[in-house]
Amino acid sequence: MRIQIGVVLAGLVVGLMFGNAAALAASAENGKIAYVKNGCWQCHGLLGQGSLVTSNGTVLSNSQLPFDAFKNYVRTANRAMPPYSDKILSDGDLADIYAYVQAVPKAPDVNGIPLLKP
Amino acid sequence: METWAQIKELDWSLVASEGNVSFWPNRLWPMEKHHHWLGRSGGYGVGYGAPASVGAALANRDLGRFSVSIQSDGDLMYAPGVLWTAARHKIPLLAVMHNNRGYHQEVMHVQRLANFRNRVAYLGNDMAPLGTSIQNPDIEYHKMAESMGWWAKGPIKDPADLAPALKEAVAVVKSGQPALLNVWTQPR
Repeated sequence: MRIQIGVVLAGLVVGLMFGNAAALAASAENGKIAYVKNGCWQCHGLLGQGSLVTSNGTVLSNSQLPFDAFKNYVRTANRAMPPYSDKILSDGDLADIYAYVQAVPKAPDVNGIPLLKP
Repeated sequence: METWAQIKELDWSLVASEGNVSFWPNRLWPMEKHHHWLGRSGGYGVGYGAPASVGAALANRDLGRFSVSIQSDGDLMYAPGVLWTAARHKIPLLAVMHNNRGYHQEVMHVQRLANFRNRVAYLGNDMAPLGTSIQNPDIEYHKMAESMGWWAKGPIKDPADLAPALKEAVAVVKSGQPALLNVWTQPR
């Protein structure tokens, strides 16, 4: 239920902020599939949690990055992160992926995890 | 940290590399003694981990130290016979697998090169690009280890199952036997 609400909210927020038809119709459910299919998980983790080694610690989940900036980065990255042109990743799938990483439930507070206490 | 919680009161020694697991043990475990970490292969060699950890565990055995490795799945595919060596010579070693079901360095590499050439890397069978995943069938490393004389358990897919399995495995290793937990993990 929480994810469903997140899906709707992420799609609405993206659509309303940028007036982008693809983003407005974005689906986090489809985005989860596209996220795996297009290999995002390989470096960013299955929940967009990031890795110090493979994504320089960048956390995608619950990103504050606006959709246009997110899209621009994905399309034009050219270093460790390879570019995803529209020939291999459609605008619709990209919007869905953005909706998915926005809809991932927030991680628990580190201070609330007993195992991580010194 | 689940592993750390089970060994922190022991005189432990991490006998595995750390790059494949995003340096997590080295970032979270207090490395205060020279034997707390064996180090790396020095050449980014795949297949170094399992034999190196058994060798180090042999040295640690006579010093009364508890050896633990974070064992990558792809790495174990290169020289799995070393598992028999450890069982044959009663070398106590706790191998906790980082089983991400792939040669993950290559998973990312193939994806990257495919993107730069505007080619789709995903072929629809496995999660990873062609030739890089270790799926379909998933390897049952715990059965492989059992077949060579190890105490083993898995595949562990629920984090809630990890601590109880670790407790059992630590007890086995303390009794002088090698133990392996086949744990499914995130990619890195």
